[in-house]
Amino acid sequence: MAAGTAALGGAARTRSSARAIAVLTGPAYLWLTVTVLLPLMAMLYFSFLTEAPIAGRVGELTLEQYRTFVERGFYTTLILRSLKLGVTVAFLCFLIGFPCAYILAKTVKGRWREALFLLVIIPFWSNALVRVFSWTMVLRGNGLLERAIDWVVPGAGSLGLMFTYTAVVIGLVHSYLPYMILTCYISLQAIDDDLIEAARSLGAGRLTILRRLILPLALPGIVAGAVLIFVPVIGSFMEPRILGGRQGTFIGTIIEDQFTAVFNWPLGAALSFILLACVLVIFALFAPILKRAA
Amino acid sequence: MASVSVRSVSKLFGSFRALDDVSIEFDDGGFYGLLGPSGSGKTTLLRLIAGFEYPDAGAITIGGESVERRPAEKRDVGMMFQSYALFPNMNVFANVAFGLTVRGVPSGEIRTRVGEALELVKLAGLEKRRTHELSGGQRQRVALARAIVIRPRVLLLDEPLSALDKALRTGMQIELKRIQREIGITTIFVTHDQEEALTLSDRIGVLRDGRLIQEGAPRDIYERPRTAFAATFLGDANLFEGTVEGDAIRLDDGPPVRTDDPLPAGGTRVTIAVRPERMTVSAGSPAAGGARNEIGARVDEAIFAGNSLTYMLTHGARSVRVFAQNTGAEPVAAGAPVRVSWNPADTIVVDA
Amino acid sequence: MATASRIYLGLVLVFLYAPIAVMAVMSFNDSQFYALPIKWSLRWYADLAGNQRLIDAGMNSILVAVITTVIAGVLGTAAAIAFFRYTFRGKRLLQGLLFPPIAIPWLITGTAMLLFFFWTGIGRGLHAMVLGHVALALPYVIIVVGARLQAFDPDLEAAARSLGANPWQVVRYVTLPFLAPGVIAAALFAFAVSFDQFVISYFLAVPGVSTLPVEIYTSIRKGFTPEINAISTIVIVASMTLLVGVSRFYRFGGDR
Repeated sequence: MAAGTAALGGAARTRSSARAIAVLTGPAYLWLTVTVLLPLMAMLYFSFLTEAPIAGRVGELTLEQYRTFVERGFYTTLILRSLKLGVTVAFLCFLIGFPCAYILAKTVKGRWREALFLLVIIPFWSNALVRVFSWTMVLRGNGLLERAIDWVVPGAGSLGLMFTYTAVVIGLVHSYLPYMILTCYISLQAIDDDLIEAARSLGAGRLTILRRLILPLALPGIVAGAVLIFVPVIGSFMEPRILGGRQGTFIGTIIEDQFTAVFNWPLGAALSFILLACVLVIFALFAPILKRAA
Repeated sequence: MASVSVRSVSKLFGSFRALDDVSIEFDDGGFYGLLGPSGSGKTTLLRLIAGFEYPDAGAITIGGESVERRPAEKRDVGMMFQSYALFPNMNVFANVAFGLTVRGVPSGEIRTRVGEALELVKLAGLEKRRTHELSGGQRQRVALARAIVIRPRVLLLDEPLSALDKALRTGMQIELKRIQREIGITTIFVTHDQEEALTLSDRIGVLRDGRLIQEGAPRDIYERPRTAFAATFLGDANLFEGTVEGDAIRLDDGPPVRTDDPLPAGGTRVTIAVRPERMTVSAGSPAAGGARNEIGARVDEAIFAGNSLTYMLTHGARSVRVFAQNTGAEPVAAGAPVRVSWNPADTIVVDA
Repeated sequence: MATASRIYLGLVLVFLYAPIAVMAVMSFNDSQFYALPIKWSLRWYADLAGNQRLIDAGMNSILVAVITTVIAGVLGTAAAIAFFRYTFRGKRLLQGLLFPPIAIPWLITGTAMLLFFFWTGIGRGLHAMVLGHVALALPYVIIVVGARLQAFDPDLEAAARSLGANPWQVVRYVTLPFLAPGVIAAALFAFAVSFDQFVISYFLAVPGVSTLPVEIYTSIRKGFTPEINAISTIVIVASMTLLVGVSRFYRFGGDR
């Protein structure tokens, strides 16, 4: 009540709370404006220039960068390749993560659940770069995986996994799996156990309960997880560089190149914006379900 | 200690009129109950007196000083919250001492006064307990001790007993009354429980939709409710409609009945209320002309409740309830026609 | 718990932790070529001690993370309190604006920062990294502190006021002590976000002035060496310890 009425009080109090709101939120949002909003706008501006207006050079307004993207199939292919990577990783995360979240939410009890949940979730927030790097120790030729296989099946030969598309997928699934487990866990946890028991008493089998009850109710969590995995994956560049080698060319690595190697900032900006557009379309498409998850 | 006076106070939340021109006087040392359903404005009135909200119109004075724009921390008003609002980061002692600490009272005096307050609420010895280790009743006592230790001019209680189970509640009612009498502080409490209001209060204010509809001693309000709402909200009542005919009221579906209340001119439509415990049920059909009012009815059900009996009756198209003492006599059987009678003094003319 | 469930959970945990474990074990292997059986040695850790570049980068990482923690902690807590206490027009919009720094791929935010900072003369370097890291940490601070506030009973503040506490005393004795666990969790979280941040730092680093993740990445691109295993092991252990610290004050999975 106090929170609701503060803004509805007398005129004098409204003015003083307006000042309080400005003082409390102003600095944070000023910061976000300078570091996120203005840079994004500047990037949009750069994407319409012939060259970056730095070091005394003058860029002229042009659609050239976007034309390059449309005319050269190379970039479209790369975007599609990145989108495919995003879908693959998100789907694999769902396949592996959903059962895991279900077990955590519905079968594990008490302190065990808390401990296991923490074990699953901690890696997600820890150092992503190091986690990706650690896979090189496992996947490289004569690395742990090949030796393990060789031990089981002597003479199985090299898998040649390192520096492949598969290696990139493995590294990314490893990176983002905890996210899917987290979002699924939260929505699975909200499902009242009584619902499942009610369905059973009405004669529903396990599969029916999963299909008709649990999956629909957990859908917001699944979609939230998938979207929140898909989006960073299509913008990934460090993981493909480390695990993909020459097979690791995606739109992300090309954008990185424009900024750090080729120094064609306007093209990089245009590509970034096309990628951002993809992200926004995804968010817009799934907004209704995402709102339910939040 | 001080009297509180609320004059023509209105309070709006957006376009919602939480209080509408409410005036009420709380005498020094009295125990007041504000009774009403949820949304009636009773809690808003309490928060206005406490200073958490300011009125949009009207005046509030405490001990003769006008306080309607004074912030809560400068009003010297002790308040006990429905949730108790015990500070979770402090133990019992620190909770009770808080009001004294922020006032800069010397620590020796704080110790004495907190000790006295805990003594008063019978919690001495629990000073070091964390609040979450306490039972519901104990929390309530801590909240009370915390509110009175600052020696406020007025004590406000927001639904003080609603979080307790029924057995504890009765005990705490007696306790609250004892403590209030012992320190003689003006106390205003809010409740939606009519029994609690009747038991505790010296005076009761009944609120509905932001308006004060009746104010007075519990007995007066119970015996002579002014509106049909007050009659049914405070206790039980059977309502009948009728038309004034001379010195009687002809019920729409029955005979004329008499009342001791003054009546308006003949032909006026009126509503009357009769308390179920003032009615008697006897077998047989009514005979006109007795000293008591009498109507005919049929027994639907007689519900046995140990020391008493509730008759569910039908009179014409309306149902009538009658409470009867269990005198050992056989209850009238369901389906039987009966006479329901009451004294003219028990016919209360109310506003619909 | 059924055996199948146990095995499944176990496999997922192996998948999540095995590579890190392998890396950690190899960092103690004397052989440069990761030869087996392992010959235990602290050789690579000793090498680290002599690697001034990595030590500098490590100090930079800590410096940036500390400054980020303080700034994001203060600004974020203030905003969270405003969101909790007031209902106002545009509140939903402001809360929605917290989403982009989390949701837009860091590659896009990072390159946009690079281009904007370079263009406006803010430049690159540690100060630019602080600018960027605070932006990334702010939403998390607001969310974590906000979650703690959700459990706050506004009547506690009302009670303190009715007992005579002035607004400052209310904050000092009631609001802040209640918020403390949330603020601590948020601060540790902000520290972790900054300490582990690679992408933004990568674009805002200048040659010679970088943070540990950037330095590790540069080394990886040059070729794998056991030394990278050693520093990576240190980084991941520090990072996970921090997060276990966060979890003492904040439940990652929401209400349980």
